[in-house]
Amino acid sequence: MQILKSFSIAAIAAVTLATPLAAAQKIGSVAQDFKLTDVNGKTVQLSQFRGKTVVLEWHNPGCPFVVKHYESGNMQATQKAARAQGAVWLTINSGAQGKQGHMSGAEAKIMMATQKFQSSNYLLDSKGLVGKAYSAKTTPHMYIINGVGKLVYQGGIDDKPTANQRDIEGARNHVTAALTELKAGKSVSVAQSRPYGCSVKYAS
Amino acid sequence: MTFDLRAFLVMVALIWMTLVQPAQAQNALGSNGLNVPATLVAESQKVQAGQSVTLAFVMEPKPTWHGYWENPGDAGIGMSFNWDLPAGVSIGKPRFPTPDTLLISGIMNYIYKGDYAVLVNLIISEKVPLGSLPISVKSEWLACTDEICVPEQDELSINLTVVSKDAAVSLDNAFNAYREALPRPLGSKATFSVRDDIFRISIPLPENVDITDPHFFVKEDGILDYAAAQKFNRDRDKIIIETGARGDSFESINGVLKIGPQRGFAFKAIQGDVTMSGTAIAAGGGDGGNFIGGDGQSNTTLLIIALGGAILGGLLLNLMPCVFPILSLKAMSLAKAGGDQAIVRRDALAYTAGVVLVATALGAVLLGLRASGAAVGWAFQLQDPRIIFVLLALVTAIGFNLAGMFELPNVNFGNKLAQKDGAVGSFWTGALAAFVATPCTGPFMAAALGATIVLPPVAALLIFAGLGVGLALPFLLIAFVPAIRRRLPKPGPWLDSFRKAMAVPMFLTSIGLIWLLGRQIGTDALGLSLMFLLLISLLLWWFGGGQMNGRSRGALATMAVIASLAGGIALLPNEESMDSQKRATASTAILPGEPFSEERLSELRASGRPVFAYFTADWCITCKANEAAAIQRTETADIFESANVAVLVGDWTRPDPVISRFLEKHGRAGVPLYLYYAPGAEPIILPQILTVATLTDLVNEPVATASFTPSKI
Repeated sequence: MQILKSFSIAAIAAVTLATPLAAAQKIGSVAQDFKLTDVNGKTVQLSQFRGKTVVLEWHNPGCPFVVKHYESGNMQATQKAARAQGAVWLTINSGAQGKQGHMSGAEAKIMMATQKFQSSNYLLDSKGLVGKAYSAKTTPHMYIINGVGKLVYQGGIDDKPTANQRDIEGARNHVTAALTELKAGKSVSVAQSRPYGCSVKYAS
Repeated sequence: MTFDLRAFLVMVALIWMTLVQPAQAQNALGSNGLNVPATLVAESQKVQAGQSVTLAFVMEPKPTWHGYWENPGDAGIGMSFNWDLPAGVSIGKPRFPTPDTLLISGIMNYIYKGDYAVLVNLIISEKVPLGSLPISVKSEWLACTDEICVPEQDELSINLTVVSKDAAVSLDNAFNAYREALPRPLGSKATFSVRDDIFRISIPLPENVDITDPHFFVKEDGILDYAAAQKFNRDRDKIIIETGARGDSFESINGVLKIGPQRGFAFKAIQGDVTMSGTAIAAGGGDGGNFIGGDGQSNTTLLIIALGGAILGGLLLNLMPCVFPILSLKAMSLAKAGGDQAIVRRDALAYTAGVVLVATALGAVLLGLRASGAAVGWAFQLQDPRIIFVLLALVTAIGFNLAGMFELPNVNFGNKLAQKDGAVGSFWTGALAAFVATPCTGPFMAAALGATIVLPPVAALLIFAGLGVGLALPFLLIAFVPAIRRRLPKPGPWLDSFRKAMAVPMFLTSIGLIWLLGRQIGTDALGLSLMFLLLISLLLWWFGGGQMNGRSRGALATMAVIASLAGGIALLPNEESMDSQKRATASTAILPGEPFSEERLSELRASGRPVFAYFTADWCITCKANEAAAIQRTETADIFESANVAVLVGDWTRPDPVISRFLEKHGRAGVPLYLYYAPGAEPIILPQILTVATLTDLVNEPVATASFTPSKI
């Protein structure tokens, strides 16, 4: 029995090790399903939103590039517009415990209220498993998954890679543009862009 | 009188230094609060209209902070510049030094940890009037630690003065170091391919160019998986790299190949077919295994593989001519003591301790040198002629010892068959074996020692210790496995002949070292060194003669040997004359040339001789190809000689600042550069691909029109 137990632990460990980290997901392929806990302790699974467009946003409240888009209200406006179109917006925090931007559920709830987040949910990924499965490199790093679960956009929030709020005006908001195109039944013209910001503060 | 003159010169120098201050910028916001403060400096505060001046953003990250390369990698942001320039002034592209890699949990950052300088050229047109020339720039950059990032910006300004064309302009020497840190243009194009998410690039680089801890950087985003491990192959004059791709939307890319601390080459690459030919060299960068939490995992695997390679390499090293004689004779002596198990084991362990200790100590010195920034590899000590000379003396002495010219009281290679070695003697024999083994490398060693570059220091030391264990392994086996010992041939009179025969591989090692020494110091200095070697040999002979007559000349002989060793070392040529040796070797070429300097150039021009100046580097394939195909040809040499053409050679193998500046003045960031100065005419810049006809035609033209008489040199 003991032997069987340690064998199964070894098997699990082997499977975990074999999960590719850097295999970035391809546009047009089915986005990796995942389960994460939200700020209220509830489990949220990506596949439960089949039929709807889902936006994933990687978040770190301490990162100046995230601050640029929240202090200016740009991110909240983008979230609001997305949800008005019927999309689901999941903000994900992959900051490990003890690293910059890590949040507990309670802390995140306060932050969401004071900063007037418009996202559908805020998910905690302190082990970084989902972040690494998506190859999320920066905060912010944006992904859009269409109604049939395929990845249609990945990259930056816009095309002005600075921490300066003045650069938001005149920038092309890739997420808003992609959602508008999806809504009109068109394919996403800019399906990939360079994400910019701080590195995601993974545990290892 | 001499003294007075010297004091006067020192005074002049001091006054000059206080007067010539490099132009220093004032920053409006004050850089005290910044984590990566920037200072704007100019290479010269005085500039001339129609010329350009180089400005540097000197970035000084505080401890634990870093700044980013123009392509920051997976995260981070490059530097931006917003210039405010007076009319008639324009600015070139910023030039960044070769960056470092920083991999944090699978996210690759291209960064600078220490101080660095970003250079830009300011071009001042002819119409800019004399007087003050204020330059200001608003710059933004990202400062990060491993944990957090802060966007920083500063408004920097500098006040230059436009002076007349005949006014003196002095240059800030700090810029020499800034230029050295820039990747140097390779001169030839690379080829890359993207297939099935695999990126490959083939870069032309001569096979004799040393490479440590290489990494390939690319300026364009969206083509490379930055964090993927990079595999390096060398196939003659090519380096081929394989790594992960992110996209294939580029026809051409701009790459930088880093081949050592602050040593990099810049080049353009175009799409083409690339196969992973040649043999692998140490892998660099990347997260190795692509596993979650894979950093520690892959390092452990690497350590185990490298340790295995080191032990195997050490074992095979025993067969190399520098070690085999010591091994075989020592083995015999162990076999002789066959009866007394305890003594055999004690001796074998003492020998092992000696070998492992010296191997680890050499490893520690190597790591220390590397940490201080030197690009060195195994046998690094052989780059120093003094150490080669000591090794040569040692190996020769061992050879004579084996040949029976003299005996040594403490270090015993198994020659005193009747006696039992002390543990101390065995220890020193082991230490000697490890030291003498360094000029030799065997299979498996290169890969194992390559791993020491990427492993943490403790693990790296373990590899060196493993090499020692491998080297000592035959002895341990003989000592601890009686069956092997019984199989060894019984000692007898034949052993004496065997020992003398073993002097041959030792002398072969000597010849190898003499050849190496000769390449470094030239035949003249080599001859002198060999005289000292003879003197040492004669001393040893005299010492041995004393032994035979039962007289001890030990103390006297030791002193005399040390004195002649010291004499030999003292008379070795210094670095300067070694450089001139290199040039002397070059002058045996078909078309001899003198080393380039601007003074010599103007001298030759003033004397009315036509001048052909070419700039080359050992790592530049195009240069070498041109030299073989067009320059070092008898046709060219004959015509140049008959036209009395002077040839100047600028060797940029090491980044010589004088040559760097000269190249820049001619609008070139690198070699090759070929210039032809017809008497009294403006120089002609020749194409980068030369033919014999290009060169001979040039000379023929001016010869017909110029009015001077060719004379024999």
